[in-house]
Amino acid sequence: MNEILSIRGLSKSYKNVKAIQNLNLKIREGQAYGILGPNGSGKTTTLSIVTGIIHQDGGSFSWFGEDPEPRQRKFIGSLIETPHFYPYLNLEKNLKIICDIKGMPYRDIGRVLDTAKLLERRKSRFSTLSLGMKQRLGIAAALLGDPRVLVLDEPTNGLDPEGIAEVRELVIEQVEQGKTLILASHILSEVEKICNHVAILKKGELLANGLVKELLAEDEIIEISCDQNGALKQKLEESQLVKEIEIENGLLVLTLNDKATPADINSFAFSNKLVIHHMLSRKRSLESQFLELVKEE
Amino acid sequence: MRRLLHIEQIKLLNYNPFRITLGIYFVAFTLGLLIYPAVDKEIPVISLSDLFRFPDVWVFLTWVTEPYNVLLALIIIMITTKEFNNHTFKTQLIFGLSRNELLLQKLLSIVVLALFATLLLGITSLTLGLLYSYKLTFKIAMENTWVLGRYLISSFSYMSMGLLVALLVKNTALSLLSFLAMRVFVDPVLFLVLRKYEIRWYLPFRTTTQLTPVPDLIEIFEKKMNTNEPITESAMELLPKGLSPWLNILMVFLYTSLAIYFSHRLMQRRRFT
Repeated sequence: MNEILSIRGLSKSYKNVKAIQNLNLKIREGQAYGILGPNGSGKTTTLSIVTGIIHQDGGSFSWFGEDPEPRQRKFIGSLIETPHFYPYLNLEKNLKIICDIKGMPYRDIGRVLDTAKLLERRKSRFSTLSLGMKQRLGIAAALLGDPRVLVLDEPTNGLDPEGIAEVRELVIEQVEQGKTLILASHILSEVEKICNHVAILKKGELLANGLVKELLAEDEIIEISCDQNGALKQKLEESQLVKEIEIENGLLVLTLNDKATPADINSFAFSNKLVIHHMLSRKRSLESQFLELVKEE
Repeated sequence: MRRLLHIEQIKLLNYNPFRITLGIYFVAFTLGLLIYPAVDKEIPVISLSDLFRFPDVWVFLTWVTEPYNVLLALIIIMITTKEFNNHTFKTQLIFGLSRNELLLQKLLSIVVLALFATLLLGITSLTLGLLYSYKLTFKIAMENTWVLGRYLISSFSYMSMGLLVALLVKNTALSLLSFLAMRVFVDPVLFLVLRKYEIRWYLPFRTTTQLTPVPDLIEIFEKKMNTNEPITESAMELLPKGLSPWLNILMVFLYTSLAIYFSHRLMQRRRFT
C-alpha cells in the first residue's frame, strides 16, 4: 500500500503549552485513520500543520512520499475545525473560488452540492446557512475534484443527531469508494464506526496506534503460533471458538468468540495434536487506557 | 496569475462595501472634476479653467486627485482585514494556495486598482483638456502626460502601505485608523517638527505626495494677469522644493519595496486561525 502521510517527530508549542510532542504517524492509501483524543490533545494542531495552516517547531512530514508543497493540497480535501467561507457570497460562488484555487473546472460543483444535500440552496449566501449546513458545505468543498485523501477535523461537531448520522453516512460512503480518510475526533464511537485504524493522542503525545478492532473492540484478541499454522487455522475456523483469524508476520491473530478463553484455544489445539509454542494476549491494556483518558474530559 | 485574479474578481465584485467605496471614489473623482470648471466660470482673472488647459491640466489634476489615493488604500485595508475576520486566508491555504500566492493576490488587486485610477485620471484630464484648451495641437496635448506614470506609482505605493498596515494590525477599524493617523497626522506633524532638517523630505508619505507636487499656481495666474493673450505654453513649473524628482521617486520605490518585503514576511509567519 502506498504511503499517503508520514509524520516524523512533529512538535509544536504555543507559548508554555506543548500542543504536540514528537509525534510519529504513518498513514497508508485506503486506510480510514482516526485520530482520537480529548479536547486539547493536539488533534487540530496536527492536522493544521499537515494542511499548511501553521508551521511546526520541530520534526517533519511528507505527503505522498514527498516533502510538503502547497500544490499537494489540491489532491487533499480538508475540513479543519469549522468551515470558513465568504459570508456574502452564495454557495456556488464560494465553491467557484475553491475550484479556482485547485485549478479545476466548475462542473463538479453541482455534484458535491448534491452529495451534501445543499443543491437547492446553491444561490443562498453562506451567512444564511444553519450550522449543520455550513458543516455540510465544508465537506462538499472537501469533496471537490474527487481528492484521493480526505482530512476531516471533528466533522460532526455542533450537529444535531440527524446531522451527525448524515455526515457519518457521507464519510463512510467516501471510505467505501476507496478514499484515504484522516479523521480527528474526540468521540470513541465515531471513530469505531468510521475508521479501521486509530491513533490515540493525549496531551500531544501518541498513546497508541493500530487497528481499531484491536485497540477499541470488545472482543478479546490473542496471537498464537505453532509448527503448522495452516492446519491450526483450518481447525480453528471449523470450531466455534473464534470469530476471525488473520495471519500477521507468521502469527495467527485470533478474535475470540465471547465465551472462549485463551485456555480453550490451547486445549483445543492440543486435542488436535498441535502444540502452541507462542501465545500472547493483545488484550486491552490500551482500551482501559483510552477509557481513563476519556474520563478526564 | 489569471487564476488568482479571477479569485479576487469573484471576491471583490460581489462585496458590497468594496462596490460602494469604489463607487464613491468614481463619483467623487469624475463629478468633482467636472463640477470645478462649471462653478468658477464667473470669477474673473483667477479662473480655475485656466488650469484645465493642455498641458497644465495633467499636472493640476494629478495634484488635485492625489488625496483620492487614500480612499484606494482604505479599500485595500478593508478587503485584506476582511480575510482575517472571515478566516478565509486559512480556507485558501487549506485548499492549496501558498502563502506567497495569498500575498500575490492582494498585490494583483493593487495593480489593477492603480491602473484603474490612472486610467480614470487620464480620461478625465483628456476630457477637460479638450473642453477648455484654446489652442490644440497633439504636441501640446501630450506634453506632461508623464505625470500619469508618477500617479500610477503613487497609487501603488499608497495601497502597498495600506496592505502592510492591514497585515500588521489585522483588525479593520484599527488598521483604517492607524493608516489615516499616519497619513493625516503623524507624517504632517513630523514634517513640521523637523522643518529645520533636510530629513523631513524623506518621510514616507511626504515622498509619495511629492510625486505629484503642487503646481506653481501663482505663476500661472500672474501670467494670466500680465498678458491678455491666452496662455499657449506651459506655465507649470514645479515648486522648487524638496528632493530632486529622481531621488524622490527612488525613495518612493524604497518605501514601497520595504512595505512589500515586510508584508511578505508577515504573510509567511502569520498563524492563520
